Amino acid sequence: MYNFLKKLINFFYREYKINLSGFHDILTNISFFFISIFIFIFSIGPEKETLSLLSVGIVWSLILLSLTLSLRKFYQDDFDNGNLLILHLNGFSFELICILKTISHFIYVQIPFLISIPIASILLNISFDKIYYLLVTFLFGSLILSNLGSISSSMNLLNQRNYLLGSIIVMIFSIPVIIFSVAVINQEENFHYLINILLGILLIVFAINPWASGACLKLALQNN
Amino acid sequence: MLLVQNLSLYRSNIKIFDDVNFSLGSSKIIILKGKNGSGKTSLLKTILFLLQPSSGSIYWKSKIIKKSIYDFYNNLTFIGDKNTSIRQLTITENIIIWKKIFLSKVGNEEINNILSILKLDNFKNKKINTLSLGQIKKLELLRLIIENKKYWILDEPFTNLDTETIDIIAQSFEDHCKNEGSILFSTHQDIRFKMFEEIIL
Repeated sequence: MYNFLKKLINFFYREYKINLSGFHDILTNISFFFISIFIFIFSIGPEKETLSLLSVGIVWSLILLSLTLSLRKFYQDDFDNGNLLILHLNGFSFELICILKTISHFIYVQIPFLISIPIASILLNISFDKIYYLLVTFLFGSLILSNLGSISSSMNLLNQRNYLLGSIIVMIFSIPVIIFSVAVINQEENFHYLINILLGILLIVFAINPWASGACLKLALQNN
Repeated sequence: MLLVQNLSLYRSNIKIFDDVNFSLGSSKIIILKGKNGSGKTSLLKTILFLLQPSSGSIYWKSKIIKKSIYDFYNNLTFIGDKNTSIRQLTITENIIIWKKIFLSKVGNEEINNILSILKLDNFKNKKINTLSLGQIKKLELLRLIIENKKYWILDEPFTNLDTETIDIIAQSFEDHCKNEGSILFSTHQDIRFKMFEEIIL
């Protein structure tokens, strides 16, 4: 048991080193997020009322689009260099690999957005009360998106020709996340009900992700 | 002990390999030989339980391998045709990651000695993407020492290596067998050991 826990911690150390060496990718994602916000501001105009009306939806849409940029690296590098197989042969089941990769994607890709959101909110004239709700919904929503990203990226390993397909799958399945996340912020009186729905969606994707992604990883390694 | 009995693999009714039999016990080297596309890699993948055989059985310690797969994996180091070192990290960083992931107890002194034997000691702080294919392959083979397992399964371990390094690796194979280790590998090269078995596919 002690060795197993040690292996889990060491897995995150490995992910930390890989993500640190590819820090420019994270910076690219955040730059894309901010540049897109500026494009929205320039295209909508500087009126505070219009901005505050659309701002939460804009932030959520851009988080989703930025996420799709990072999906390609989710499993692809470890698959190409044979590390997925080596991890599996060293006692990491495919399902466990999927859970750990999803958590590490949340920590190393999504958490930097958590820091960016307050800055983006100031640019979009979002009130401080709403920033709090935005951050809470982001915590749930980004975990859901990481799980969806894991499923679509593992499916992409089986379909090396069309990377956009994975992004499209994430976008379609993230529609409920965006609906409820935006609703949480715009209907503060229903906060607890809507956040429970988000939690429910999170539990569903968290239950499906390891089995669906694990099966895709296994098939991809068989076909490789 | 690993026992392979009447193993066959067909894909879309095309024969990949047929009726393969061997046993891999202590202090034994088995070399898989065959032309390109003769099914060497597929046979290794089947033994690793990544591919389902069309017929035949694989036993690990007298049990069907499916029932004892993680015990088999615990005793096994596999080196495939891909280099698992992470390209954007240095040799030292990769070794640290491997030691952590494999919970290796091999000391730094031993690793440094092997690095100097393989003439990689001057490149310890170089990133993998600046190394030659031969140097990357040497580093990959270092994983055999770091993982420190009894059974080694290797797919074309001598690719991209010079003759001097091939001799060093072949000697380390002999030493591993003296310590009751077992090796199964595929190769095109004409490598000879004191005691070995050859399977032609």
